[in-house]
Amino acid sequence: MTGIQPTVHIVDDDAPFLAATSRLLRASGFAVKAFASAGDFLAQRNEDLPGCVLADVQMPGMNGLELQTALARSSNPLPILFLTGHGDIPSTVRAMRDGAEDFLEKRAPKEQLLAAIERAMARDVREREVLARQRELRARFDALTKRELEVLGHVVRGKLNKQIAGDLGIHERTVKLHRAAITTKLHVQSVAELTRLTDEAGVCATSTSN
Amino acid sequence: MYFLIWCRNRDSRAELFFAVTAASTTAIAFSELWIMRAQTAADFVAPLRWAQLSLFFMFVSITWFVRIYLNAGRPWLAWTITGLRTVYLLLTFVAGLNVNYQTVAPPRQIQFLGESISVLGGVPNPLMAFGQFGVLLILVFTVDASVTAWRRGDRRKAVTVGGSVDFFILAGLATVSVVIWGNVQAPIVISHCYLGLVLVMGYEMSRDVLRASQLVHDLQASEAGLRESEARMNLAVEAGDFGIWIWDLARNEIWASDSWRALFGIAPGEPLTVDGVMRRVHPEDRDTLRQTQASAIAGGNAGRYDTEYRVLLPDGTIRWIGSRARVETDASGNASRIRGASREVTARKQAEQETLRLRQEIAHAGRVSMMGQLASGLAHEINQPLASILRNAEAAELFLQDPSPDLDEIRAILADIRADDERAGHVIERMRGLLKRQTLDARCLDVGSLVGDVAALVRVDAAARQVKLDLEVPGGLPLVRGDRVHLQQVLLNLVLNGMDALNGGTREQRRVSMTARLNGAQTIEIAVGDAGPGIPADMLARVFDPFVTTKPHGMGMGLAISRTIVEAHGGRIWAENKAGGGAAFRFTLPIAEEAVAS
Repeated sequence: MTGIQPTVHIVDDDAPFLAATSRLLRASGFAVKAFASAGDFLAQRNEDLPGCVLADVQMPGMNGLELQTALARSSNPLPILFLTGHGDIPSTVRAMRDGAEDFLEKRAPKEQLLAAIERAMARDVREREVLARQRELRARFDALTKRELEVLGHVVRGKLNKQIAGDLGIHERTVKLHRAAITTKLHVQSVAELTRLTDEAGVCATSTSN
Repeated sequence: MYFLIWCRNRDSRAELFFAVTAASTTAIAFSELWIMRAQTAADFVAPLRWAQLSLFFMFVSITWFVRIYLNAGRPWLAWTITGLRTVYLLLTFVAGLNVNYQTVAPPRQIQFLGESISVLGGVPNPLMAFGQFGVLLILVFTVDASVTAWRRGDRRKAVTVGGSVDFFILAGLATVSVVIWGNVQAPIVISHCYLGLVLVMGYEMSRDVLRASQLVHDLQASEAGLRESEARMNLAVEAGDFGIWIWDLARNEIWASDSWRALFGIAPGEPLTVDGVMRRVHPEDRDTLRQTQASAIAGGNAGRYDTEYRVLLPDGTIRWIGSRARVETDASGNASRIRGASREVTARKQAEQETLRLRQEIAHAGRVSMMGQLASGLAHEINQPLASILRNAEAAELFLQDPSPDLDEIRAILADIRADDERAGHVIERMRGLLKRQTLDARCLDVGSLVGDVAALVRVDAAARQVKLDLEVPGGLPLVRGDRVHLQQVLLNLVLNGMDALNGGTREQRRVSMTARLNGAQTIEIAVGDAGPGIPADMLARVFDPFVTTKPHGMGMGLAISRTIVEAHGGRIWAENKAGGGAAFRFTLPIAEEAVAS
């Protein structure tokens, strides 16, 4: 249970506030991990742990906005929520443009804070599902051989077997065999499903006319 | 001609005597001619007599000419000569004696220079020696006078006048002696000797005439120069827009140039009195101006002063005047008059006041900005513990919703809340420390000079805001112990607050007072009062708290800082509304221990 439970990662240099917030969120039913600095968080966090980040904007060393940038580049980009003593417009704008979930005052009402965390958690679940699906699809496509990918490229553009055979300089029967292998490996029944899946996986299975 | 000169100028007595000498010489020449034409012994008597008269005039006038012209010679000798010649003349005319001859021989005709002339002869009268003694006295007198003049430095005069007088008189004396005593067959001709003398004297006198004409020329040139420099002076005065004035202190009269009158709005013909001028000076500047003048008259600052004051014209316009003056003293060292130059400095004064106002605005903006930063920092630092307290309280509430709450956790939360509260307290402490971070430089201070310093600091500001400052500090107050700069800041703050409170109001109401008095044996109480609207009753107790203000744009820090400073000095500060309206801020300062002990 501990391994995969969505966790709120709190990053704040002010220890009493870190402790108090951790206490509140735990009492509200969240799994919480506390970090005294952005550096600590990036170094110590469990990359597989879902959840969100609740970070102070003004911190010595790496500040909240720099943490946001670093997090986005990681393999597990958690949604981020910012806390600030007194919000200033430029950093708020920048944080929101870069996809911050929310920007809250440190003394914002508890309900506002908890609601924002709930939203961030839900967003993480959503993003995580999309990511998992993409990974699964990617694994299926990865099973295709180079020739099968070439054939797929032609199929999704609506070409007939005869045209594909002509383009690739192979026998029409061989094209049929490749198509059977593709549908088996990608678990699809129809060409329409094949086309949607290729789109979803973001695989640009273009047959390069080489 | 010289006689005419004397007629015009009776002081030119040298000219008179010279004219007499010349006339006498002419008369002698006529007498000589007369003698030469004589046919009988009796014919000689009359011309000889008249010659004596001429000789009297000539010798006397030569003597006095030398006396006056060389401005030397012994007067008693001159009077002796005059007396001798007078006696001699009296003998000739009154006694009817022939002082030259006892008996006169009949004239003898001789050939002289191709002419047949008569010459005298006879038995010489011993009395003539008496006359010749007189002539010798003239010689002695002249030599003495010449030596005196020579020693005095008038060498040329001594030689020409003294030398020629001696030479020609000696020559004349010799001629007469030889002809009369020696009974030489020759005409008595002495007039040529005296003619030579007259020529030399005339030459000498003409030098004086020339010099006089030269002097007249020089005088004209210097007058022209004087006029020129006066014109330049006028130009400078006009170019500098200066008005010139002279105040005769003894007679208490003022003379002033028209441009000065224009400055004061007084017509050129209008009579000028000291009181009248003073009435033109702005009432608020009169005392200061009088004090400045009195101090200069008393000899302060070497009797000079340079001051600026306002003039209130009849139409209500205010004009700033810059005035420089110098007190002049009479022979006994008493101030007799003041001479001065004044000009209008209104434009400069207005520019100065504008600059001052800008500077004050900048200073105020700086103070506000500094306070703003301070407040922003304060807000951030206090926000942190407050946020922790909030989160802890919220967590505790959640824990308490549990049927069996974790009391240890709740205790921990409460401990944290207490710690955060202390943290917020420390922030405020640090903030206070920041406001009074300068250490006190306590010294013995004179309250009078402290109040005076602040009055001097705000004087221009007060004038610009048309506020009158009333100072009332009795002399002989004991010294207090404190930091001059900090206490100045307190007073300055209170005075500026007082002036701020006087928005609007009549002239009589626009006053801020600074007073000091002994308050018991240990403290001095200093008060700053205004005639403004006073302080709302509910604010009286709070005005010294930080961020409490009655001003629309105030920061509410001035009085808080003032209280910090006064309390750091061991004093007390409080505010009250005066019975007659307006507010008074009072604070006490302990008397310096040294002063108490003594």
